[in-house]
Amino acid sequence: MPAEEMGKITERMRLVFAVSSLMFLAALAISPFKDYRREWKQYKRSYLRFAQVRPDTKRLTADYSPDIDQIWLPGMNVVDRCTTCHQGITQSSLADKSVPEPFRAHPPIPHNVREWGCTICHRGQGPATEVAEAHTSTLAWEQPVLPTHFIQASCGTCHQSDLPQTPQLARGRRLLAELNCQGCHKMQGIERPAMLGPDLSSIGTKVSREWIYKWLKEPRTIVDKDGNVTVNGYETEEEPRMPKFRLTETELRAFTAYLGVQKAKPIPPYTISPAVVAAWSKNPELISQGELRFRQMFCTTCHSLAVTRAGETKLIGGDIGPELTKVGSKVNPDWLIAWLRDPEGYLPHTRMPRYGWSDEDLYKVTQYITTKLTDSDLLSDVPKLDPPADAEIQLGRRLFVEKGCASCHVLEGLNPQKDFGPDLSALGGKNASELEFGAAKIPHNLVSYIQAKLEDPVSVNPAARMPQYNWNQADLDAVTTALLSMKGPPPTSAFENLVVPHKESSFRATGSFAELYERYKCYSCHKFNGYGGDLAPDLTYEGSRAERQWLVEFLESPQTLRPTLILRMPQFNMSDKDAATLADYISTVLEHPAVNPLTTDAKQFTPAMATLGKQLYEVKYQCQSCHTIGGSGGYVGPNLNNAGGWLTPAWIEAWLRNPQTLVPDSIEPRRNFTDEEITALTAYLMTLRAGIKPQKTAFHTGARASEPGAAR
Amino acid sequence: MRIRNFGINALLIVALSAACGCRKPAETAKPDALLVAYDSEPDWNDSTKIISLGYQQAQGKRVFYQYCVWCHADATPAGPSNRSNLTPVPALLDDGPTLNAESDEYLENIITLGGSAMGKSAMMPPYGRSLSTEEIRSVIAFTRAIAEPPYQPPGRTRPQYSPK
Repeated sequence: MPAEEMGKITERMRLVFAVSSLMFLAALAISPFKDYRREWKQYKRSYLRFAQVRPDTKRLTADYSPDIDQIWLPGMNVVDRCTTCHQGITQSSLADKSVPEPFRAHPPIPHNVREWGCTICHRGQGPATEVAEAHTSTLAWEQPVLPTHFIQASCGTCHQSDLPQTPQLARGRRLLAELNCQGCHKMQGIERPAMLGPDLSSIGTKVSREWIYKWLKEPRTIVDKDGNVTVNGYETEEEPRMPKFRLTETELRAFTAYLGVQKAKPIPPYTISPAVVAAWSKNPELISQGELRFRQMFCTTCHSLAVTRAGETKLIGGDIGPELTKVGSKVNPDWLIAWLRDPEGYLPHTRMPRYGWSDEDLYKVTQYITTKLTDSDLLSDVPKLDPPADAEIQLGRRLFVEKGCASCHVLEGLNPQKDFGPDLSALGGKNASELEFGAAKIPHNLVSYIQAKLEDPVSVNPAARMPQYNWNQADLDAVTTALLSMKGPPPTSAFENLVVPHKESSFRATGSFAELYERYKCYSCHKFNGYGGDLAPDLTYEGSRAERQWLVEFLESPQTLRPTLILRMPQFNMSDKDAATLADYISTVLEHPAVNPLTTDAKQFTPAMATLGKQLYEVKYQCQSCHTIGGSGGYVGPNLNNAGGWLTPAWIEAWLRNPQTLVPDSIEPRRNFTDEEITALTAYLMTLRAGIKPQKTAFHTGARASEPGAAR
Repeated sequence: MRIRNFGINALLIVALSAACGCRKPAETAKPDALLVAYDSEPDWNDSTKIISLGYQQAQGKRVFYQYCVWCHADATPAGPSNRSNLTPVPALLDDGPTLNAESDEYLENIITLGGSAMGKSAMMPPYGRSLSTEEIRSVIAFTRAIAEPPYQPPGRTRPQYSPK
């Protein structure tokens, strides 16, 4: 090739190189511009401008750097760059609502934000540096920020014990346990109780096939005069434990056939003495006397009845046992008598106590229940059911297992299917792509999925076996929170060390006390050392609080000490011997270590002390704002009419010194009494004995208890 | 030919990078007011109006419903209220005309030290030894949140700045 031509090409090449170099230079110049325009850098700069107009600019910009800020917790897989934009997060002067996001301070919480980062609680993508990627789910990063309404779920991921600060989470966990979700699902920190649903081994002796049909079709039992079906008869906050299954007519017939013949362990029938029947059956007072006894025994402490007042139907009474408005049309009268005499003979783990019934009371009350607590229309919409055919019974047996009934109900000869429903112990950590949304038109995120599934299980999966619950919004949100908190085993060992496990409390009654404790089911309402119900006072230290003689009288004839209480301790018709056994055990075993009965002797109190105490009570401290003595005073604390007969002086002194050492969640404020004041107040309270006289029978309450709920 | 392609490629790169640089940040959807709240409380005079509460106010709500509700509300979890039993009648917690005029400091003092220490009725007991300072402040925050008419903190500066 001639040199001249070579030179020409070289010239051209130079030109090309020159032009393309310029182009690359331009391309490179764009890069710093792009970098300057990054989203997080814009927030950085705008924070500086924002801080300029604040009076405390210097403090606000003290740790400002133009780079990405991050909180790195290597042990917990946390790399949170959120503070790159949320720069004022720990600046107390930026707490006000008028401060624009993302600069507003985090509200004060028990954890230091700088030590814990953000994503442990709020979720979202910690390492992301763009608003959308950090907060919402994108193709690459799926975990969106948790709506603050459900944030208590994050507390529950580590705090598996209940915290007072997270009521929504605690309610959700309680509902999961109460509704027996653990019958079908494996869940974190929620144990299977001894009894889920009732044992159905002898259900055929208790109810008719028609009633079972009605119940399975719609377990919400009361329809008001306008035809509105309400949960158990009223707009309730409690979801009935039995959900609604979507059953076809054939399935209903098969179930009722199968359950109707279950009579494996019938409860032995009891015949009421013919003399009692003869004496009462013709008595026009029979039903009203039965109603009176029903109320006097405070059955409504655990059971509710629907009452219509001014056109509004409401359930009044407790929710420990089933509501009884129409129970007379439900149960077989012979079964009812046998059940009332010995509930455990029918249901081994029932919470219903065994009362010491006289034949007379038993006759009157069962007559009242089967005559008055009825509804002749209850089963009117149930089709005529012929005697069960073998094929129906066989189909019913198969369906019982297939529908998962055996997960909650015991039935002689059937074993529950293991892990009937999906394992939910890691549901709260799932990404949207791991969930099946089906045809549901809902946002594709975990919260929407859980809520849709709970509200209508078939909406996300037409083949769902899960039955239908009927939630109110608060319960739905609470259960969602509890499910969101279950994120499976902790991802790292550092995280594992943070988990505060849920402690199971237990109480072992001993000796002859144990037999009575089981018979009267004290733990259905009272707590003993953390174990038991929360309807009635915690009895863990009752022996230090109450005088033995008072206990005996109270057990034989319970009175309420709190004027506003609707629910009262039922009449157990306890024998003197039983009351003495319980009182002895309570007095000697259930004692508080800080209350020493030997340090306080009631004999040391002088009338002068009591006079001073009365003055302190009435004038200086005005205790009457909360406590009643005589006819006047407040309704907040227990009435003190019989304080001297009820409370031990050692308890009163220890209580006045610091109520919360004795009952940690007592609302009585701890005062700064001097020792002299404590002695004087104790001396005064010990003189109060003239109050209510315990009575052997409770007939005097009859007038006030003439309608349900009136026993306030 | 190859050279021209090269030039076109270079142009394309330049154009693409420029386009990326100018991309607007994605808009995030505006969340539901209640979903960003820790808890909520229905307005005491109008239960259809829901007031959203932050963490501190929600803690105040919890403390209130455990300790204060018995005398400072007309309905209580147990039903009847003790309020009508007392003279002078305690203020309702949402009583704006009475409570909005008092400073946070005064309210903290009266809860901590009790009524008699502040020259008011001794029927209001002191809670300083039973509740923590945080709990007392949270109750005040709750009071402020539910006050009717709404509470205006003193000397609040109007927002002068928006981040973008």
